[in-house]
Amino acid sequence: MTSSVDLVAASRTYTGAPAPAVSRLSLHVAAGDAVAVLGPSGSGKTTVLRLIAGLDVPDEGDIRIADTTVLGVPPERRGIAMVSQSPRLFPHMSVLDNVAFGPQMSGVPKRQARQAAERYLDLVHLPGMGRRRPATLSGGQQQRVALARALAAEPAVLLLDEPFSALDPSLRADMHRLVTELRALLQPTIVLVTHDHQEAALLADSVAILIDGQLQQHVAAAALYDRPNSLTVSRFLGCLNEVPGHARAGRHVSALGTIDTAYPDGQADGDAVLVIRQEAIALTRADDPAANATGCIERTTPRGARTLVEIATTAGLLFAEVQPGRRYGHGDVVGLVLPADQCVVIPTASRTVTAGQVPASPVPSGR
Amino acid sequence: MRRRPAGGRALITGGQASLALWFALPLVPVALWALASRWNDSQVLPEEWGPAGAGSALADGAAASFATSLALGLTTAALATPAGAMAAYALAFGRLRGERAAALLLLAPVFVPPFVIVMGVNVAFLWLRVPPAVALALVLMVTAIPYTTFVMRAALASYDIGAEEAARTLGASPRGVLRRIRIPMLAGGLAASAFLAFLVGWSDYVLTLLIGGGQLVTVPMRVAAAASGTGNHALVAALSVAAVAPPLLLLLVINRLSVPRTSRPATDADARERADTELTGASA
Repeated sequence: MTSSVDLVAASRTYTGAPAPAVSRLSLHVAAGDAVAVLGPSGSGKTTVLRLIAGLDVPDEGDIRIADTTVLGVPPERRGIAMVSQSPRLFPHMSVLDNVAFGPQMSGVPKRQARQAAERYLDLVHLPGMGRRRPATLSGGQQQRVALARALAAEPAVLLLDEPFSALDPSLRADMHRLVTELRALLQPTIVLVTHDHQEAALLADSVAILIDGQLQQHVAAAALYDRPNSLTVSRFLGCLNEVPGHARAGRHVSALGTIDTAYPDGQADGDAVLVIRQEAIALTRADDPAANATGCIERTTPRGARTLVEIATTAGLLFAEVQPGRRYGHGDVVGLVLPADQCVVIPTASRTVTAGQVPASPVPSGR
Repeated sequence: MRRRPAGGRALITGGQASLALWFALPLVPVALWALASRWNDSQVLPEEWGPAGAGSALADGAAASFATSLALGLTTAALATPAGAMAAYALAFGRLRGERAAALLLLAPVFVPPFVIVMGVNVAFLWLRVPPAVALALVLMVTAIPYTTFVMRAALASYDIGAEEAARTLGASPRGVLRRIRIPMLAGGLAASAFLAFLVGWSDYVLTLLIGGGQLVTVPMRVAAAASGTGNHALVAALSVAAVAPPLLLLLVINRLSVPRTSRPATDADARERADTELTGASA
């Protein structure tokens, strides 16, 4: 069984805190969808999950599960299950009894609950681990058990609170594959909280960006990097290039020149910043007619297999992340190609999406 | 890994043995006297062995005293353990106003001499016609609460309340959380605080004397009376053994129950290695 989840202008301010942890947040998660709430540390992400779970109460606004308000409904009756960063397995129970806990609490006899638990342990690829104590499992295995335990409760909504952030990269990749597999099989409604935008884009259908307790943008996961609606979102997503100037007739005019941009329709003229991700800028010969601008290389910094190149241009420093094998040295003069479909113009007084506003990019309403 | 200096292990073993001797040696003469029928001062060991001491103790009414002490110990543990656990939980998670003042108040019976409290309280109990046994149980509970509270506070310091939240989201009611999660996860701390509360009730002398007014005769009172008056070493030794045995037995039981079932958490590398071994084993 899956259900939709709605936060309707929900706010929560903790005693003594100078600002609300969550401010007039409205978010819709369709039944069977996975939405990632993405934001930096302290942005109010976990509060969102606690409000949905009933572990915390909003000061104002409403929380609805399956179109019914759940304000005043205790956590155990909301039909949710939560997996957090720490697996929080019950140390005094065997792995099997941990997984059987949810079914048992809903009145399933012990024997049947254990049989169900065996099935869920198989699903998370831990067959035969039931007799073990949680302390004898590795971190990755414990997190799998936590996931099996949550799924065994057959929740209408599965809440994942940065569940893989404590795992090493290879284990995290394993868990991402596992969640994708489980989604295809069980189709639960998922609200995932994370600060990792790659994880959000990988696991969710849409991504809600939450900064300082306010929803900045709710966008389809596939379009996460394509069209930030504010400099705050662009910077949070790791975009390094910002060129001040102004928008005119769907183009951006600055010290860099006149640049064709993405989504020119409906763009108002006026002061605006051109943003383009460092991965989108291609470097070419200085005399290449395809180049939008030229510049002189200031510095190169290895970034794993790729290299981050800093280029001094007439509009200031720009950054390009180039593919492996391309070598540049200090003082090299290069041409910069800024693909129009990657250039986003943000009005200087950029607004943020507040409660009830339509997201900047279409969010899929179903699966 | 840092290596232990040469001879370090022998030094540690020697230290441990000395410490064990320090505790055990005073008990040796008591144990020997408890089993001796005759032991002349000039002899190293008793000349005659037998249960004379135990016989004298039983004839002196030690069995009834033993039962009284046991009842006092168990009642104190039964009252002070839940009270201390609740106080500690409130101090740890209750977001109390004046938490420090409440903690100090709970600790007060430790630094106020017991007879100072008792003299005033006893008058009130007499005026209210509270039976001495009930009055004593109440006062012993108050005396034991600082110990149970602070043992439970220490236990709660390493307690992850997130486990309770996880249980709630998995469908457990507050009562279910208490029964299935909180009590089992705090069992070690509860056992230790119950043990301390039992000791307070079991070994009390002053409060029993003042409040019991001679109606309640406990093992410590019998030991004191025998040691100060009779000169019967076998009797004193038998009573002392009776005084030491229950706490010692309880301590052994608690120790046995609180031995961790696993030595250390596995690492992911361990788990992979184990999985590989299991797979190899399965395919072989």
